[in-house]
Amino acid sequence: MNSLLVWLTGFYCLGIILASLKLINFWLAILVGIFIYFVVSKLQTKSFIFLSAVLFLTVLLGFFNLKNAYRLPKNHINNFVIYKDNQLYSLNGYVDSQPELKNNSLSFIFRLQSAQADKLRFKSCGKVLVKINFNQALSYGTNLTLIGKLSRPYGYNRASYSYKEYLKRLDIYLVMSIKDVRQVIIQPGFGGSKLIAGSFWLRSKMEEAIYRALPELPASLLAAMVLGQKRNVPWLINDLMIKSGTVHILVVSGFNVSIVAFIINLLFKILRIPRKQRLILAIICLLIYCAVTGASNPVVRATVMGVVFLSAYFFKRDFDIYNSLALSALFILIIAPRQFFDIGFQLSFISVWAIIYLYPKLKAFFHLEDYKNKIWKFIGEGFLVSLSAWLGTLWIIAFNFRIIAPITIIANILIVPLATVITLSGFTLVVFGLIHPYLASLFSAPVALFINLLLSINTAIIKLPFAYIRY
Amino acid sequence: MLNFTTEERKVALFLLGLAFCGLILNNLIKVNARVEKLVYPQVELAKLNLNKISLSEISKVKGVSLKLGERIIEYRSLHKEFRFLEELKEVKGIGRLRYERLKEVFFI
Repeated sequence: MNSLLVWLTGFYCLGIILASLKLINFWLAILVGIFIYFVVSKLQTKSFIFLSAVLFLTVLLGFFNLKNAYRLPKNHINNFVIYKDNQLYSLNGYVDSQPELKNNSLSFIFRLQSAQADKLRFKSCGKVLVKINFNQALSYGTNLTLIGKLSRPYGYNRASYSYKEYLKRLDIYLVMSIKDVRQVIIQPGFGGSKLIAGSFWLRSKMEEAIYRALPELPASLLAAMVLGQKRNVPWLINDLMIKSGTVHILVVSGFNVSIVAFIINLLFKILRIPRKQRLILAIICLLIYCAVTGASNPVVRATVMGVVFLSAYFFKRDFDIYNSLALSALFILIIAPRQFFDIGFQLSFISVWAIIYLYPKLKAFFHLEDYKNKIWKFIGEGFLVSLSAWLGTLWIIAFNFRIIAPITIIANILIVPLATVITLSGFTLVVFGLIHPYLASLFSAPVALFINLLLSINTAIIKLPFAYIRY
Repeated sequence: MLNFTTEERKVALFLLGLAFCGLILNNLIKVNARVEKLVYPQVELAKLNLNKISLSEISKVKGVSLKLGERIIEYRSLHKEFRFLEELKEVKGIGRLRYERLKEVFFI
């Protein structure tokens, strides 16, 4: 049982699936759980029974965790609002995300602490998506009183994707649209976490360094690749990259996390910091980077895997990649079990699993080790990594996005090495840009050139016959 | 002196190479305007030309239905071409919010 965590994660996911199918009665599951718990406590000396019971209890853990996630607290704001509610609400709370300004509209997540309807004031909780029709200087943690109507997001469907479901997975059930300055009252004090505020501050400084050094278009792409800030990436580029199957380079992933780990480790090595302290500092820096980039699923996955890898190195233990992948999935699904149904979560884990499972098998099948020419070997390896990831994620992409893109394999061979160079140069630009803008300008032209090359290759590839099939 | 490990030497070479390229490119951009076009991505890579786009292409744009696409093309044929992006607001079905979204997609 070397891959115990893989089994535990698998059974935990099974519990989530069973809960979503609503086939099992909640109270019956509790009774079965209690019964198994008592049976296993009596028969714990018998290995097989103990292991089977543990796995079964893990199924129940997944089951109850998803059920709990769907059940809202009694004072949740969602319980007070009826469909097509015309009631004016006064909400007290704080800004719980970095406000995003796009097309002269500001949007952010508002965490509620109390609410007032008519003259009735009550303690409440929950998150509300706020859209403000004008620009207002707000930042994470600002205490606010918002006055307006609450509505439910539309559940329109595009393929299997629903905006309403997407917001639900973020624990957002209500939206407030604000059109008048008088509807927003800034209150004194700070409501959020200082640690998160610090991360957002660092991110804004890094973004500033990028936008100061580069024109808007390359800057938007670099901000996406290095900091995971995709909001300014033009629609056309995003669409072209979906078609070529290279959109994954526009999000922060394990690749970025490994670069950060490498840079930090190297920096501390140059500073002659001893090995153990170096590893601890590298873990801390990885956690900071995770917070700075918004802790999305791929970053959390890569950070947990990175921390497990560094910890194994620290404690001089063997590193099992399957166990670390399973641990990161379990970590995310315990905190947010609804993420199991998120396409981003599925793609992130299945692509990594496909690469670590299929790639060695394909490599052996094509006898890649026998290649003597280094260039051919490098191209062959790139081809097989792309092929493994494509085969693993093909069915999810085909089902959700209604697109099959055979060009993905070739596109990734050309674009991934280029994206590696851009990310490395981008990190260099950001680090030096934080020190002084002139230092960043030393690296801005090569970064822009690489980005230009990447976009040109991507645009050319898409024009090839049968590059992608949309249905 | 220079008691670097192999990794440190690689990093130093990478940084120096990058800075070297940057300085040369910055210099060439100042001397020749064509180099600037070569280095910095042009708007054509990120946006669609409103005066050249076909009906089939425009209807694939996010937020543009086939009917709205037809109206945009009709307006373009009637006025020969779009001179300003703001003219999109004169097309029936394009309000302030939709215009704000569309101006991110098109250029003239």
